[in-house]
Amino acid sequence: MGIELDVKSFDDALKILSKNYKIFAPVRLKGKGAFSDTDLVTYGEISSYKDIELNEKSRYSPKEVIYPITQTLFYFTEDEYKEPEIDDKGIIVFLRPCDANSYLKLDNIFLKNGPYEDNYYKRLRDKVKFFIIECTKGFSTCFCVSTGSNKFLDYDVFVRFDNDKITCDVKNDEFSYAFSGKEVEFIPEFIEKNEIEVKLPDIDKISQNLEYVFNHELWDEYTKRCIACGRCTVSCPTCSCFSMQDIFYKDNPKCGERRRVWASCMVDGFTDVAGGHSYRQKYGERMRFKVMHKIYDYKKRFGTTMCVGCGRCDDVCPEYISFIKIVSKVTDAVDRGESK
Amino acid sequence: MTNVYMPIKAEIVSIIPQTDIDYTFRLKSDILPQHGQFLQVSIPKIGEAPISISDYTDEYIELTIRKVGTVTDAIHELKPGDFLFIRGPYGHGFPVEDFKNKNVVIAAGGTGLAPVKSIINRYNRNPKEIKKLNILVGFKSPKDILFEDEIKKWKEKFDVLLTVDNGDETWKGNTGLITKFIPDLKIENSDDTIVIVVGPPMMMKFACLEFLKRGILEENIWVSFERKMSCGIGKCGHCKINETYVCLEGPVFNYTKSKQLLD
Amino acid sequence: MILDIDTKLLKKNAYRVTKQRGITALRIRVPGGDLNIKYLDIIKEIAEKYGNGTVHITTRQGFEIPGISMEKIDEINELISPIIRGLKDEGVQIEDEEGGYPAAGTRNVSACIGNRVCPFANYDTTVLALKIEKLIYPNDYHVKIAVTGCPNDCIKAHMQDIGIIGQVEPIYDPSRCIGCQACVKNCKRRVTGALTFENFKVVRDPNRCIGCGECILKCPTSAWTRDEKYYRIVIMGRTGKKNPRLAQTFIEWADEESVLKIIKNMYDFIDKYIDKTLDKEHVGYIVDREGFKKFKEEVLKDVKLPKKAKVANHIDYTGYRYERNTIYD
Ligand code: SF4
Ligand code: SF4
Ligand code: SF4
Ligand code: SF4
Ligand code: SF4
Repeated sequence: MGIELDVKSFDDALKILSKNYKIFAPVRLKGKGAFSDTDLVTYGEISSYKDIELNEKSRYSPKEVIYPITQTLFYFTEDEYKEPEIDDKGIIVFLRPCDANSYLKLDNIFLKNGPYEDNYYKRLRDKVKFFIIECTKGFSTCFCVSTGSNKFLDYDVFVRFDNDKITCDVKNDEFSYAFSGKEVEFIPEFIEKNEIEVKLPDIDKISQNLEYVFNHELWDEYTKRCIACGRCTVSCPTCSCFSMQDIFYKDNPKCGERRRVWASCMVDGFTDVAGGHSYRQKYGERMRFKVMHKIYDYKKRFGTTMCVGCGRCDDVCPEYISFIKIVSKVTDAVDRGESK
Repeated sequence: MTNVYMPIKAEIVSIIPQTDIDYTFRLKSDILPQHGQFLQVSIPKIGEAPISISDYTDEYIELTIRKVGTVTDAIHELKPGDFLFIRGPYGHGFPVEDFKNKNVVIAAGGTGLAPVKSIINRYNRNPKEIKKLNILVGFKSPKDILFEDEIKKWKEKFDVLLTVDNGDETWKGNTGLITKFIPDLKIENSDDTIVIVVGPPMMMKFACLEFLKRGILEENIWVSFERKMSCGIGKCGHCKINETYVCLEGPVFNYTKSKQLLD
Repeated sequence: MILDIDTKLLKKNAYRVTKQRGITALRIRVPGGDLNIKYLDIIKEIAEKYGNGTVHITTRQGFEIPGISMEKIDEINELISPIIRGLKDEGVQIEDEEGGYPAAGTRNVSACIGNRVCPFANYDTTVLALKIEKLIYPNDYHVKIAVTGCPNDCIKAHMQDIGIIGQVEPIYDPSRCIGCQACVKNCKRRVTGALTFENFKVVRDPNRCIGCGECILKCPTSAWTRDEKYYRIVIMGRTGKKNPRLAQTFIEWADEESVLKIIKNMYDFIDKYIDKTLDKEHVGYIVDREGFKKFKEEVLKDVKLPKKAKVANHIDYTGYRYERNTIYD
């Protein structure tokens, strides 16, 4: 069963929810695109239906909501470490199934990798309520079906936006109070076929043939083509790497903070060790490292492919490097290498 | 929720300069690490860095820190009575239990001696734990030699070969890379000998190859890696080599594993 | 054949006295260098039927159709009436659409391709070129204006009486910055080095920043984004036989309204100070004679510049004189 709403009653629901929740969704920021007179579609806080951008894929992913680009870990006054407080409000995120799945991928790193849970991640992640945006067509670079990220069933509310008719499946009763409208028959739908289908490599085959895949010539062209800008990783909903930075305030050097800031394995400095040594200096090597993380070693570790097939890395690469193409090349190489 | 990034305060009880740029800091602490584990060491407002533990007792730990960057520069400015902030220990150390009653060869290059020093001192205190210990240590030049006093002490009990890459007028000892001395090392029972190799990447690579030539089994060779780390607990991604998090699975690796760490 | 032609009128009508007697060439204006493709058919027809089958693309982005007999001018003017009407429809003040171009002194406003195509452009140059065309054409005063999208100055705005260069104020959100320093390195290498890296974040020196927008383009996280559009106005650049020189900055961080008003005012300035005894006088030489101060006063009349704007106090033209600057062996 679903509830059918018009824009007005949907906005009323948002209003009610906003008392206890911060509500995030893809938004269009006018004139904020990198090129002049273009817009930036990204995640932001919303208060009404018209704020939600549904026609274009967001350049940046909703991971920012639970894993901010810059996050203060400690404030320092003299030698005291003080943890910053956070907002009491809960977090509602409107997202498509691929992006919802990306949260589960981040969970693996922040909550399951190693012996400890990352408390800064957890305290935001625990607040999240999933409001799934029904996505049945996708966009031209999506391949979520291939990565198995086209479905997300563990949602709180599922929303179909059909022009100005909005239908919701309120699975989490906690939210029933906010939605009032006509009850209708409603079966949430998920995309079953993308324009692009990508065959992912068999990870066991890679394991058995690791050196062959690693030293394959397919990586070489990226040493020349890639400019190591990091756009692909910054836009990726599943990239989770960060660096820590300590600073003292210019106006009060006795005080300062320790924060963490996103990092990218594609960008210079990622592997620099004290004393000047660094690894994976060739951009082709970085490409291999990134791609293998997305489709091979993460899966080996957690049993699920890291990449959710959102296609953002392909969308944002200024050098027109297609991750999708690389994945296909790897699969090809692995299959061929095996038959040799 | 426990804050896994929250360090504890540790007082510096003494500072022993080893060379111009390597100081050993003794911190009051009851942390009992495994040999080869590391700590995340920080100074608020300056930063945090992974530092291997060079020695410990139940009252203190020792960190031998080379001045090579913002954080370590600032640490070198500290005096006894000042505090460092530490969290850890993290990672996996050397499985010393498995080394019992065996021949052990430790080959360390430069600052690579720090993470293995506590093992040597362990055997120094308790020589019966193993059959025999050979120590091979190499430094760039005589002025880079670390733990000179301790090396002297070790010489009383063990076979110690100290070499420098380049000597000077006053240097009368061995010169040349460690790898040069491996072929002539007295190794009795090569398939029952444990080898520990720690040092710069190239040194480790070639030293391991030399030991393999001497008939040491791959599974008996142990190395320790140095990588950039921000978190030390498997989140930040910096130390990952292919599928392996150095902070979690390392920094100490068996050779059978380390040879697969392709970069 | 008797040829009795008022060459002044002929030139005003955008035709030329050529080296071949009785033969002229017509210049088609293309404001902003942007022409609806349908007009190419007309140009083609004239070149084939009346000209010598070729067309020359002018430095000011117009078309020049050579090899036309002067006798055919009326016929041709009728043929180009759709092009003229096109200008009129865009809002250019033209009375007689059948009579050919009403003036040729004020040259075609040229423009680089701008943000319709170029990623560096800070605004739509075609639109601005047309706005300027509407403002100043038709007019007989000899004035050259060009607009360009960014400080790369692909249109060579620095060779014009008035050159308009697009600027953008980059806005920095430190919380989005991952410290990759792509912007810092790029600004140092390709621009003016306005950015430095302090405490893991970027600091911009507004006095060094020329508003090119490169940092915005380089940033992977959109830590830099665009704010208001601005324009740098460079003035009195010229080529020519007497003291050629690059234009110099008159105003930085001007808004569009001010740009248009200043251009309009410049025509009043010319009107007031031009040496009427001469056949024609180029605005640059009028400014040379009357002085920058007077020019500045006149063109800034009733102009409300944005707060950010910076106006040159004086201008030191470095141009060169053929007779002085070269020291020969
Ligand atoms: S690797 Fe590319 S397609 Fe996969 S989740 Fe990241 S951005 Fe999306
Ligand atoms: S692809 Fe690179 S930046 Fe992204 S999570 Fe993996 S290692 Fe980190
Ligand atoms: S976005 Fe493209 S050019 Fe930039 S790092 Fe990624 S693959 Fe390389
Ligand atoms: S706008 Fe141009 S000059 Fe100004 S800071 Fe950015 S790159 Fe540098
Ligand atoms: S390019 Fe962007 S992310 Fe990189 S340093 Fe500059 S502002 Fe920061």
